[in-house]
Amino acid sequence: MAMRELVTGGAACAVPGSSSSSSNPLGALANAIIGSSSKTQGSEFLSGFRSANQNGFADAWDEIQHQNQIPPHFDQFHGPRPAALPQPTLDGPPQRVLSSFLHSFVGSSHGSIPFRPTSLPLLGLSDGDKQCIRDRSSIMARHFFADKSEDFINAQVNALLSSLEIDSDARVKGPMPGRFPELEDYWNESQGMVRPGAPAVDGWITEYSQHRAAHGDPDAWAHSFEQQHGANGWASEFEKEQSQLTSIDQMRGVNIPNFEAMEQTRMLAHTLAQNNDPKFQNSKFLQFVSKMSRGELIIDDNQVKPVASGDWAAEYQQQYTGGPSWADEFAHNQAINPKWDFNDLLKLSHGPEQWVNEFSTEREQHGSADDQWVNEFSKLHVDDWAEEFGQQIGENSADNWANAYDEFMNEQVAAKQRSDASRGVYVFSDMNPYVGHPNPLKEGQELFRKGLLSEAVLALEAEVLKNPENAEGWRLLGIAHAENDDDQQLTCNKERISMQAIAAMMRAQEADPANLEVLLSLGVSHTNELEQAAALKYLYGWLHNHPKYGTLATPELSESLYYADVSRLFIEASQMFPEDADVHIVLGVLYNLSREYDKAIESFQTALKLRPHDYSLWNKLGATQANSVQSADAILAYQQALDLKPNYVRAWANMGISYANQGMYEESIRYYVRALAMNPKADNAWQYLRISLSSASRNDMLEACDSRNLDVLQKEFPL
Amino acid sequence: MANSTKLKSDALLELMKQHLTTDAGKQITKKIGLVYQINIAPKKIGFDEVTYVVDLKIGEVTKGSYEGGKPDATFSFKDDDFIKIATGKMNPQIAFMRGAMKVKGSLSAAQKFTPDIFPKPSKM
Repeated sequence: MAMRELVTGGAACAVPGSSSSSSNPLGALANAIIGSSSKTQGSEFLSGFRSANQNGFADAWDEIQHQNQIPPHFDQFHGPRPAALPQPTLDGPPQRVLSSFLHSFVGSSHGSIPFRPTSLPLLGLSDGDKQCIRDRSSIMARHFFADKSEDFINAQVNALLSSLEIDSDARVKGPMPGRFPELEDYWNESQGMVRPGAPAVDGWITEYSQHRAAHGDPDAWAHSFEQQHGANGWASEFEKEQSQLTSIDQMRGVNIPNFEAMEQTRMLAHTLAQNNDPKFQNSKFLQFVSKMSRGELIIDDNQVKPVASGDWAAEYQQQYTGGPSWADEFAHNQAINPKWDFNDLLKLSHGPEQWVNEFSTEREQHGSADDQWVNEFSKLHVDDWAEEFGQQIGENSADNWANAYDEFMNEQVAAKQRSDASRGVYVFSDMNPYVGHPNPLKEGQELFRKGLLSEAVLALEAEVLKNPENAEGWRLLGIAHAENDDDQQLTCNKERISMQAIAAMMRAQEADPANLEVLLSLGVSHTNELEQAAALKYLYGWLHNHPKYGTLATPELSESLYYADVSRLFIEASQMFPEDADVHIVLGVLYNLSREYDKAIESFQTALKLRPHDYSLWNKLGATQANSVQSADAILAYQQALDLKPNYVRAWANMGISYANQGMYEESIRYYVRALAMNPKADNAWQYLRISLSSASRNDMLEACDSRNLDVLQKEFPL
Repeated sequence: MANSTKLKSDALLELMKQHLTTDAGKQITKKIGLVYQINIAPKKIGFDEVTYVVDLKIGEVTKGSYEGGKPDATFSFKDDDFIKIATGKMNPQIAFMRGAMKVKGSLSAAQKFTPDIFPKPSKM
């Protein structure tokens, strides 16, 4: 199942651009269901719009009708599977072609038959879909063909990808949120020019649709859950089953015909919301449909009436817990196929153990998003469920299941404790060639030394996956992220924002609480993020744990830290051993914290006399000079750092910042592009590049920036 | 010992203040020519707000409300959101629609309040 998810792409949050619920079998099913019921009840309601010649609407309608012809996909994962390998079906709707094609790819692993490229009809895959399939298939192929040579695997994957017309290494990125021309309307609204009706609700609707447009998927918890765990994952189905019950409860007392209309419009609104055109997103029509779907408007005696807008959360809930038709259909399907054909799912993935492994790896990768999930899940009488499930699949596998499940729950609890203890949750890369490497730490150190920072990150991730208590692995991983300027904020779960460098360093500190380098790094990272209190805590920790200066630190101080006390201690320390570069460095960081930049510069310069070949020290000096608007000096310092370490991405990005802050936007663009060429994941640099491009009136290149097209940018702005 | 306030925005506005004294900063003043008042709240908009005036008529950043009349536009943010907007992590228009940024005053003035007027902090 994890297997299926990997293949068909249960989009992890690491793939922000993957939009389309069109590749989602459940979505297709839902569409099919809604199509059938709206035929009987909805057509009258809808035909009014049709005559109004709304193009978008007509398309959406046709799409729904078209979807309706697909037999429900349910039987693919619910019903008994034919014993023979399914042959790819190359006609029918794209969804089906893709699905059967991927099945035939999976099937080819059983017979070790070379997979042949096939010419397929046009599938209309989005870039996000493609990226997903590409990433997932390369990983999964290594599982399927574990006993085969790398060449064989690559050939298989290439055959798959070329059939799907996916470029095997293209950079596919999601669109950046654009600007919205309708701003003015909302502006006027907020300024008191109230339109009749409920403006707050209007604003909300639009924001909601914007949000959909911006992220390409609804932000409902349920939905993101579905994406992460695979639309066709068991958990998701379980959830649906539960929500069936919930929604029936909620339906009591609700006017049933209106509820149906709501349900139909909901699907319609959902389909329409897939259209990313901002104009369309803001159209009155969509707003109308959205309102209908949330029950804010009802149709009574052929008149449209607003409903007092209540607690929207409740409505939202209604929307996403699934309506009556869905529930009915589900129950119906359950009746036909009372058993989940679990064995087939197992076959797909080399037996239970493998499945368990995969499941737990998935867990780790998805990490932080799961707290809510656990909460939700535990509400749902999990024990009953586990038992019931056990009965269905027989004794042996039931044990495996129960174990896997226990393991999973334990992990969840542990993960939760961890994340409560520390803000940062490290999120591992999806695809890591170094997993299974005999000595990933050595490899990582070597790569780091060579300046291949992104590769070093992967190797070090493999190391800490293998040895989670290896402080040195975590430390170097944190350093590599910082030097690589990997500052993307991971917001899998909306509330948790973590930065990889900090998250890794925190794990290093857990493993080795007294490590001086780790404490200093944490102090520096938090200073960069302008988090004074945390920075102060770690810098004081450095002093406290230092063999030479530990005596200066008085224990009672660690409870409530005041900047003045800490800096006094460090000044004292620097007088004890003026030849110790480290203490000058920490002092320099401290002065950054209090924005006494002149003193900070002095401290770093003192340290540099003692340690002139420390590239990160040159960068610290440069950053300090830049932050005290001595950008010209900063550039000289960064140059020193880059002479010592040419792949120091952070220094390249800092160069760009210093040029931009001097108003030299053309120059800054070149440096940002250079940094990004070395690490395309440096999100800050992308944002700054965008700003520089518009400041330099290079709006012609904004599109390349938004689509993260480095080839174009590098050609246009060589350094 | 400099000030020990807890707002991240303090650091950025301090940088802005210095920045406005440079040639590049003077260009911004010349280009914008408007007065913005910025209210920054540590946790929730409207509570414990610290007020700054970014005067891009004369090129100054001062703490406290504007005393020269009515600012062209007044913004309210949470501390974190202001940082996100000023560093280009969040589009001001999206922030506005999400309610992460409240605005009073003239729209044309507010629309000139974009990330490119702020200097970017460098990282050690």
